[in-house]
Amino acid sequence: MIGALLELDRVSMTYTRGGLLSRTRVEAVIDVSFRLEAAKPEIFSIIGESGSGKSTLARIVLALQAPTQGAVRFKGKDLAQMRGDVERHAFMAAVQPVFQNPFEVFNPLKRLDRYLYATCKRFAGAQGETAVQAAADTALRQVGLSLAEVRGRYPHELSGGQLQRVAIARALASGPSLLIADEPVSMVDASLRASIVNLFRKLRDELGLSIVYITHDLATAYSISDRIIIMQKGRVVESGAARTVLANPQHPYSKTLKDAVLEPLAPGARPLFAR
Amino acid sequence: MSAAMQNFAARPEAAEGPVVAVRDLRAWYRLRLFGVDREVKAVDGITFEVRRDEIYGLAGESSSGKSTLVKTIAGAIKPPLEIVDGEIKFSFMPGTKGLSRAPPEIAARVRWRHLSYVMQGSMSVLNPVRRVGASFVDFAARHMGLDKAGFEAAVIAHLARVNLPGSVLMAYPHELSGGMRQRVAIALATICRPDFVIADEPTTALDVVVQKDVLGMFRSIQREMGSSVLFVTHDMGVHAHLTDRLGIMYAGRLVEEARTPDLFARPRHPYTRHLIHSLPSIGDDKPRIGLEGSPPSLASPPSGCRFHPRCAFAAERCRVEVPPMESVGPDHRVACFEKDRVEVTP
Repeated sequence: MIGALLELDRVSMTYTRGGLLSRTRVEAVIDVSFRLEAAKPEIFSIIGESGSGKSTLARIVLALQAPTQGAVRFKGKDLAQMRGDVERHAFMAAVQPVFQNPFEVFNPLKRLDRYLYATCKRFAGAQGETAVQAAADTALRQVGLSLAEVRGRYPHELSGGQLQRVAIARALASGPSLLIADEPVSMVDASLRASIVNLFRKLRDELGLSIVYITHDLATAYSISDRIIIMQKGRVVESGAARTVLANPQHPYSKTLKDAVLEPLAPGARPLFAR
Repeated sequence: MSAAMQNFAARPEAAEGPVVAVRDLRAWYRLRLFGVDREVKAVDGITFEVRRDEIYGLAGESSSGKSTLVKTIAGAIKPPLEIVDGEIKFSFMPGTKGLSRAPPEIAARVRWRHLSYVMQGSMSVLNPVRRVGASFVDFAARHMGLDKAGFEAAVIAHLARVNLPGSVLMAYPHELSGGMRQRVAIALATICRPDFVIADEPTTALDVVVQKDVLGMFRSIQREMGSSVLFVTHDMGVHAHLTDRLGIMYAGRLVEEARTPDLFARPRHPYTRHLIHSLPSIGDDKPRIGLEGSPPSLASPPSGCRFHPRCAFAAERCRVEVPPMESVGPDHRVACFEKDRVEVTP
């Protein structure tokens, strides 16, 4: 048990919908287990289409939701046993989220530096104006920005790629050991995607951060992941080393997913939807 | 009804030349507040045409002016957006300059009959409190000139083309999945067999698997009807597989245009090169380099070539002069002073 950063042990999540007479059950996650080692930081990708249960899994790992069956352990501690503000606070500092749409996560009327200051004060224990600003600057420098560029700015003044970097910097400010990134590049322009994806790789290598990368984009998953799992309708249908799985998928669903990826053509190849 | 108006209602089978020709179009957002003028030059001098029976792709990042261009062409112009200069000519509206300058009764006849629009969020096209069938009546019934039974039969036959059962007509939009709604939106836009369809990011909100289906359907309908399509998306993978010709927009200007395979094989503009080379692909372990800097503000764009602050090839001249769009091959135009250097650099 020692050495696991995050461990999911046969986790299932069932939602019930409707009233007494017409109750329906939706099985969003069915029997999912995986384990990230503390000693070996990695980028772990969860791949699947909408409705495959990948975002529910993210909510469970972030302890925003308790699974209906199974256990989630973070550094050996069962999340269901988490009691009181102190434990919760420590958990939140160690596991941080990055969400899909950077334009929606920030309040348009609130300055961006406020988010960073608040996180630095609450989770990094920075006291006093200079210490808070220094902590915010350190976090921003890790993502290739600086406080001077962000101070006093409102969300609409930055591009989507920059905003997503600020969101990542905010997540880094608490000094986490695990980042849960739910579709972090799907709202970012294609030309800026590469820079966000490269940033994740840098965070893994330089800060020793483990990242759970949730996506339906197989191409970026291939380029940065160490291991992946592919989910369909709540179940894991294929898992393993990213290169092996994506180069030669075995499950029919994984093959469908891979075939649906539209990549630029090799010279002379025929487009899928040619005239 | 005047003779000219009857002309618009008839399908101009014999008409030659491009379906849409846009010449030197400038569409700006102009705000005058307390004596301070603020101009956002979202479309600044764009010239291109969409030919008969082709899918013309338009690529570029957000805030490059793609959507403003599309709105201007579709005639959906509301203040503060205004056409400052240039013209738009449709083959099906000879003698008039674009939809926004046409008399309202002519514009109403042309819309949906000759020109239709597929938008990104299909949820916002379909009225959430009306059944799908009612939306078909709203959009298309007056252009088709059929009785009620004939119209319904025509709609059901058309829905079969996008693999939807006739029963969706009785459904409310929220009862359909995202892929089905987008197919309904495509069916709506094509039922009148329009000459020209504008599709603005029609598959961006869809899953990869559904996207592949919808794109395939899009092409088969286009092929069957011989319509011309202006297809806007920032996803270069989609362009590679679907479009016949492709234009690249950057900061309100067209920077390069070519037949799609040529553009991917021999990009001549540094921005196009970057767009193509930054795409990750399965089985390719080369690291990808992101573009430094951020898209320029269109309220105060950089001088000269608007790409120069982020360009690895930028020379002194690029900072001062605006590079003109020049032909460099059959159907291939590019606006770059350093295009020859770009081409030979690996």
